[in-house]
Amino acid sequence: MSSNFKVSYREDTAIFQNLWVKTWMAILILLMIVSPFFLNRYQLSILNEMGIAVIGALGLNLLIGFTGQLSLGHGAFAAIGAYSSALLTGKLGIPFIISLPFSGLIAALLGLTIGIPSLRLKGLYLALGTLAFAFVIEYILFHWDLTQGDLGMAVKRISVGPFQIKSQRQYFYFIALLAVLAVLFTKNLVRSKIGRSFIAIRDRDIAAEAMGISLAKYKVMAFGLSAFYAGVAGCLMAHYNRWIVPGSFDISLSIAYIAMIIMGGLGTVLGSVLGAILITGIPHGIVYIVDLIKGTYPALSGFIVDFKLGIFGLVIVGTLLFEPAGLAGIYRRVKIYWKTWPFKY
Amino acid sequence: MQKRSIVLCLLLAVSMCFWASTMWAEDVRGVTKNEIKLACLVDFSGPGKFAGPPLALGAETYIKYINDQGGVHGRKIKLIVEDNGILPNTTLAAAKKVIFKDEIFAIGFNLGSSGSSAIIPLCEENKVVMMPHGANKRFYNPGNKWVFVPYSTQFNMASRAVEFALEQNPKARIGMIYQDDDFGRDGLEGARAAAKFMKTKLVKEAPYKIGTIDMSPQMRMMKEANVDWILAWTYIPQSGAILKEKRTMNWDVKVIGNNTTAYRLIFPPLGELADGYMAVTPFVPWEDTPQRTQDILQKYGVLEKVATPPFPAPMFLAVWTYFAAMVEGLKEAGPNLTPESFIKGLEKVNNLDAGGVSPNISFTPKRHVGYFSSLVVKADAKNKRFVTVSPIRDPKTPQD
Repeated sequence: MSSNFKVSYREDTAIFQNLWVKTWMAILILLMIVSPFFLNRYQLSILNEMGIAVIGALGLNLLIGFTGQLSLGHGAFAAIGAYSSALLTGKLGIPFIISLPFSGLIAALLGLTIGIPSLRLKGLYLALGTLAFAFVIEYILFHWDLTQGDLGMAVKRISVGPFQIKSQRQYFYFIALLAVLAVLFTKNLVRSKIGRSFIAIRDRDIAAEAMGISLAKYKVMAFGLSAFYAGVAGCLMAHYNRWIVPGSFDISLSIAYIAMIIMGGLGTVLGSVLGAILITGIPHGIVYIVDLIKGTYPALSGFIVDFKLGIFGLVIVGTLLFEPAGLAGIYRRVKIYWKTWPFKY
Repeated sequence: MQKRSIVLCLLLAVSMCFWASTMWAEDVRGVTKNEIKLACLVDFSGPGKFAGPPLALGAETYIKYINDQGGVHGRKIKLIVEDNGILPNTTLAAAKKVIFKDEIFAIGFNLGSSGSSAIIPLCEENKVVMMPHGANKRFYNPGNKWVFVPYSTQFNMASRAVEFALEQNPKARIGMIYQDDDFGRDGLEGARAAAKFMKTKLVKEAPYKIGTIDMSPQMRMMKEANVDWILAWTYIPQSGAILKEKRTMNWDVKVIGNNTTAYRLIFPPLGELADGYMAVTPFVPWEDTPQRTQDILQKYGVLEKVATPPFPAPMFLAVWTYFAAMVEGLKEAGPNLTPESFIKGLEKVNNLDAGGVSPNISFTPKRHVGYFSSLVVKADAKNKRFVTVSPIRDPKTPQD
């Protein structure tokens, strides 16, 4: 059932490799449809945050994990998406269903522009360039009257025609649908010519160019695509939280996205998903632990709250030390173990 | 064809779930026959973590005091103190936790202005009354049904500072150093409004970016403009830097700041430098706290802690007054407590004496800000305390 014996190239590049995977996907989708009826609003709100983070992380993994271009400006692209959609729907009265792709496109347009220096800059220098871009965006959001400074601005609810999304459960279905679409699109993209070109550039850009891959075209395209995902994630974040402040899109958001893809696994779609779930889930996990023990061990719960960021950092460092390939690496090893069981190799 | 059918089935299932989820009834949250759950969101882990413990202690002490008197209409209050990390994202997460998981009735105190802004839609959607601390004029003008501010804003206090300077010297040349965010800009607008009202203007305005601690460029700008009063709309580190720069420049200029610097915390690091520093605040210096309030603190075993420097007593008392306003609103709302009746109850709060430590609090349906008044205090470095130099008073400048 789980055999990997392939007889055609088409089979080898299939998104769902075998019946086993298809079955698991069907179970997962069924769970996603049913679970909101068994979860409370708080748990659903956590899942919604995770869904939005998945979209953003997929975009950044395309840029860093697949193309090897370091960026510290992902939070700024999310901000552009968020503010674009807030202004499009709020000031111009454009329906959300149009503003959603538009916010991604506006972010992508800026991403393409920022991608141009990537032809000259590499590694830390490129990271610094994108960081500077993030600071410029933050400064504009703080000082432009239209964006209303650091107290932020209200954003309309998500509405599709006459239907308005109001409850956490409705948000869950909508965000989950978009997250699934983003995952499928990314899966499809990375097995296409574009995805293979990204990987070739990441592995050795000179060799890629020698093979006829246009560095200029694909590096800039990676920036544009990555920014599009971030813009869509930002737009969803804005309409989900219904209020945006520049502080929500500062450097810490970019770092959180980087943590997601490193923890999840660079250069894997599954890694983006797992990383987004983990990094978004850790603070909520801490909240659950604190609530659980604060009655019995108030001092310990106080300690955990005091050192929340430290614990968060410790989990990240620990994971990197013991599993540098991230969660996707753990998944891969577990899969191989069971595939070859009872043999070791 | 088969694939298309599967996709269609999935889409149909999702839309059915959407439809079903609209049918789900909303619960009434946070109130039982014997209990009302209130939240207090303070910072234990973010940039404002020094404020968390005194604020939490103030809220817990006040709620104990109320519960020992039998609670409100026979219901005891259960207080949930949660870390909000002060930043917008962390505050949003904390608010979701207390609303969705702990199912609180109202948020009696939320530290941080941008975080408070970020949670307004969540409060609206879930019918949660919220009282923001670190308030900005935008919280009451144009205002929001679910937001009540039992505190004066930076706009109010900066107006008062300008008026005070002009009372001391009608020809005072006033300059302003302000943090380039909504905290500082709210102060700047208040100062400009007051200067205009008093038929003068600020001779120099010098912003600085959040986190800056070198104030020498701003102080040079003030010196070049030949000001004799500096309005420092800053936090403690920046006010300290201004006072140090003043000494370096050997310049006898008067400096007046805001409530965030009117704490005894400034004396250990600044020593003699703090002498003569003035601040506008709605809270009386700890030493002027009425005996009746001190007696309550004594009863609950926190008097010594609060009275001993450098404990930030105004923070402790601020959260005390917030919950006093909230409890008064609950009393006014009557036994049939709902979010709507609570709002009506709060809007009936009139001239509430919250322990004689701050101006009396009044809300009306058109005004969800408790007061505009404040007093001016001056640092006495020798005795490591602040003394009142101008009593509690409303600014003359229109504040609405």
